[in-house]
Amino acid sequence: MNASLYTDALSHIAAPPWLTEARHEALDRFLAAGLPDSRQEAWKYTSLDRLGQVTLRPPEAESSQAVCPDVTAYPGHVLLFQDGQLACHGTYLSNQFAGTLRHWGDTRSVHEHLGRIAGSSALADLNLALWQDGARVYVPAGERLGMPIFAVYGAATAEAMLHPRTLAVVESGAEAVLVEHYLGQTDQTYWQNAVSEIVLAEGARLTHIVVVEEGPAASHTSLTALRLGRNSEYRALHIGLGGLLTRRDLLAALDGADAGIRIDAFDLADGRRHTDLHLRVSHRAPRSQSRITYRGLADDRARAIFDGHVVVEHGAHQTDARQDCKGLLLSRQAEIDAMPRLEIYADDVKCSHGASVGQPDPDALFYLRSRGLDAAAARRLLLEGFANEALGLLDDAHLRDWLMPRLLAALSRRSGEEVRS
Amino acid sequence: MGNNDLQRHIDTPYRWGFVTEIEQETIPMGLDEGVIRRLSARKDEPDFMLDWRLEAYRHWLTMQEPDWATVSYPAIDYQAIHYFSAPKAGNQPRSLAEVDPKLLATYEKLGIPLNEREALAGVAVDAVFDSVSVATTFKDKLEALGIIFCPFSEAVRRHPDLVRLYLGSVVPHTDNFFAALNAAVFSDGTFVYVPKGVHCPMELSTYFRINARDTGQFERTLIIADEGSYVSYLEGCTAPQRDENQLHAAVVELIALKDARIKYATVQNWYPGDAEGRGGIYNFVTKRGDCRGDHSHISWTQVETGSAITWKYPSCILRGDNSVGEFYSVALTNHHQQADTGTKMIHIGRNSRSTIVSKGISAGRGRNAYRGLVKMLKGAEGARNHSQCDSLLMGPDCAAHTFPYIEVKNPTATVEHEATTSRIGDDQLFYLRSRGLTEEDAVNLIVNGFCKEVFKELPMEFAVEAQKLLAVSLEGAVG
Amino acid sequence: MLQIRNLHVSVAGKPILKGIDLDVGPGEVHAIMGPNGSGKSTLAQVLAGRSGYEVSQGSVRYLDRDLFLLPPEARARAGIFLAFQYPMEIPGVANAQFLRTALNSQHRARGEAEVDAFDFLEHVKGKLALLEMDDGFLYRSLNEGFSGGEKKRNEILQMLVLEPRLAILDETDSGLDIDALQVVARGVNAMRSPDRAIVLVTHYQRLLEHIVPDRVHVLAAGRIVRSGDRDLAMELEDKGYGWLNAGADFEEDRP
Ligand SMILES: Nc1ncnc2c1ncn2[C@@H]1O[C@H](COP(=O)(O)OP(=O)(O)OP(=O)(O)O)[C@@H](O)[C@H]1O
Ligand SMILES: [Mg+2]
Repeated sequence: MNASLYTDALSHIAAPPWLTEARHEALDRFLAAGLPDSRQEAWKYTSLDRLGQVTLRPPEAESSQAVCPDVTAYPGHVLLFQDGQLACHGTYLSNQFAGTLRHWGDTRSVHEHLGRIAGSSALADLNLALWQDGARVYVPAGERLGMPIFAVYGAATAEAMLHPRTLAVVESGAEAVLVEHYLGQTDQTYWQNAVSEIVLAEGARLTHIVVVEEGPAASHTSLTALRLGRNSEYRALHIGLGGLLTRRDLLAALDGADAGIRIDAFDLADGRRHTDLHLRVSHRAPRSQSRITYRGLADDRARAIFDGHVVVEHGAHQTDARQDCKGLLLSRQAEIDAMPRLEIYADDVKCSHGASVGQPDPDALFYLRSRGLDAAAARRLLLEGFANEALGLLDDAHLRDWLMPRLLAALSRRSGEEVRS
Repeated sequence: MGNNDLQRHIDTPYRWGFVTEIEQETIPMGLDEGVIRRLSARKDEPDFMLDWRLEAYRHWLTMQEPDWATVSYPAIDYQAIHYFSAPKAGNQPRSLAEVDPKLLATYEKLGIPLNEREALAGVAVDAVFDSVSVATTFKDKLEALGIIFCPFSEAVRRHPDLVRLYLGSVVPHTDNFFAALNAAVFSDGTFVYVPKGVHCPMELSTYFRINARDTGQFERTLIIADEGSYVSYLEGCTAPQRDENQLHAAVVELIALKDARIKYATVQNWYPGDAEGRGGIYNFVTKRGDCRGDHSHISWTQVETGSAITWKYPSCILRGDNSVGEFYSVALTNHHQQADTGTKMIHIGRNSRSTIVSKGISAGRGRNAYRGLVKMLKGAEGARNHSQCDSLLMGPDCAAHTFPYIEVKNPTATVEHEATTSRIGDDQLFYLRSRGLTEEDAVNLIVNGFCKEVFKELPMEFAVEAQKLLAVSLEGAVG
Repeated sequence: MLQIRNLHVSVAGKPILKGIDLDVGPGEVHAIMGPNGSGKSTLAQVLAGRSGYEVSQGSVRYLDRDLFLLPPEARARAGIFLAFQYPMEIPGVANAQFLRTALNSQHRARGEAEVDAFDFLEHVKGKLALLEMDDGFLYRSLNEGFSGGEKKRNEILQMLVLEPRLAILDETDSGLDIDALQVVARGVNAMRSPDRAIVLVTHYQRLLEHIVPDRVHVLAAGRIVRSGDRDLAMELEDKGYGWLNAGADFEEDRP
């Protein structure tokens, strides 16, 4: 491992003093552990060797900020980070509840939660040591935000190593919609290693949409860690459309009774992409509910991996957990691996999972063709239907209008087919 | 079910826990090349066997004990085990008349009469006592059909070419830690060869008994079904009740050639330890079948009620086109038992098919994990798998896990996996009791219903036996 | 319009249809009846172009074209519609989205203008009303979770929207309650016109009271063993298929 890359990066960060020690400790832990390797069970299908083979650099102190995505395209408040830093000063739209971690770092909610939700793992430690900025969302008790907050993490510089960090705290009874958009603006290699920490207090509700649209040569690793208080509700939609190698982990702890979590995920693996999504949902208190829906497509020479792990801890009575995972293989060279796991330490529970991997159903294709659709259109419709099963959360028309064209464009990227909007 | 009822505890003793007082010949504790040479010499083995054992032993020394299964146990001291122990009765008895009456009485007491006149109709038995086979019934009758059914050590002497050809061809000695250990020190087991086109007219079965203290049992079974043949095989196992843990590390290899079919059933009832988790057998077993020919068919059925810890994954390599692999399993863990079991279905051939039905029952502080792999390789055109894994949970302190791995590299292959959990509901129990059933009968009824798909794969007498075993194993889990 | 000559079809090596001859002209309604497993659905599926059926002999001409040269979608665009005995469930694809895609692909193929979303909804809602179906069906996934009867109605809805030349209805009446049967019959009758033909596969003469056929055929063991007018259907209802045995040679073919 090229340790100097990381130590150099740390030396360039002008951290607030209260964080310096934590950063150094985190880096030491990371350097001791090294990058995860495929001998570890959780990394069985994904190798990060690539990160050791490409050239990476910490981001420039002042990034060029040449490319500024059109913030008005986002239907909500926007925090735009470019190569690790708040970009295009003055042009972002924000409000009192959404700001940058750098600016709001020294506040109670940050002190209380930063680094505590994600826990320690090699990549989370690395992010904790090297993050430069990111979104900080704080929704006070009872507040209901009407508009979504977009945290956009753009990467435009070749060879950049970026560690975006997000912290969202939704206090009791409050509601918000948070969208994280990882956006590649270069065809060159770079690496984003993101960490998002989310805390829902009693009765809080968060809709969380994560869209990964990294560049075609990019690596993306991320950890989303969350804590759910009593009666709170977390609904998430995770969409993977870009990046050569993506590995996303979501760790959810349902600490409070009656908490509910729903995670929908759609991954499109095409070209030579490798996508790996790991979910771990821990039910820790009575009467909590989880619903996981995964839809993965693998085409060309791509590989899609899904690992959904539901844990019901001792005493989490009346847990109701369901997991539904489907993969479609569209080419002879593609591969899908699925691991829907259940780990139960209680008896009064209702848990199930179903998983299937195969090709688009030939009977369904025939049915559509008998109504006049040609083979390609029938196939496309089936694929859209397949994706739609994971998009139930897009009930907001503005969000839908923002996201669907991106999704359809990605779907039409496969085999150069054009997809109807 | 009301937790108080459930936890109300009746302790039924393990019925098979007696010890046979018989003079044993034992190689001193510990393991080195000298022990392996003595063992091999004691069995008059040809050189190729000794070489194979030594190679396995040397490889084993380089390996790490696996730690990934969700089971936990104190470290095993491999130098504190006897690797060979046999009743002192001179050499192998040539006929049942020569078998020590004490041994015959032992098997009688276990419900396995070795006297051919009293034997279960249509079942031929090979009785393995600690490290050696002590009797094999109906050998002659089978020989007349060309079927070889004999102790492994006898096969090594009488059919060395067959042994040499197939031994280790499904489970190589490098496969895993326990398989390597077994290859180095295995003492006996059963060998079966069914010639081309022969339909074996009776169930073949081996009954394994651990008797001696501090002894490991390392047996090896090799079954070869030649083209177009059929054989159904059963194994059963028990051990005395002791406070120390004992190690059982067996290897089973099955080979089905073109159009052949092997049905392999296990009713595993090793001593599970007491209600506090003291004692019991560590059952670390490697079982694998190779569907080598087109249209070959291997099915594994297991009912696992015994052992303190079970670690086994009877698997199928579906090499032949249109080959079929099946795995039907009931695993029950009560008190402090732990089971980590499942299967691997490796699809290589076109249109190969596999079915997995796993039923886990966790009671008390039992831990029950299903771990399975379904792999569709590139050439597995049109292959299909369906898996169903159900857990029945009894009591707030039990644990049940499902860890399926699905890997698909062929777009025309289909894999489907479903898993559910359930518990015995108060209302179900009430309904049955209001019809006059006792609570225990009601629980047994529900449990048997839960396991029905697996029991129907067992030959009749064994299905009945398995049901009884479940009922006995669950006593203490229900009030 | 449709000429079937000496059609032999087998599935997985097993002969199912053993020489079917049938002529259907414009404006006609034909009913095909016959015991379970006699090959009625097989005939319907072969006409719609499902793969997996081997046509070993014979020919089918539709509007003077060789039907077997056309892929399923081309047949649909040429006006053939099959209402499936067991309609497929397709999760994630909304009924309306599917119907509009199907309609427009047929329009495009015929060089007609595409229908925009607004006109489409107007058009469909009229048909929904005719079938006494709730608007909600449009936004649910195609057939997913529909009851048996709802699926059948949905097939008829598709037929009304797509306006085919030749409609083949495979047991669309099975699983319908009496009221629904009338509703469906109303839908089918609304389609009748001098340039359209309809083939009804049914087990019940009941449907034929509502949709009066010009010809009735009995398919048994892969052959048409009797043809007649609607009285034949009534006779069948009375006497079952058994009485046809006399003189017919299909019994020996049955397993
Ligand atoms: N894929 C297949 N493989 C084997 N046999 C098949 C297959 N498909 C159909 N068959 C057989 O073909 C025969 C005709 O089936 P078909 O569905 O056409 O009957 P049907 O007349 O429509 O019957 P019903 O009145 O019950 O709908 C049946 O015996 C059926 O089992
Ligand atoms: Mg039919």
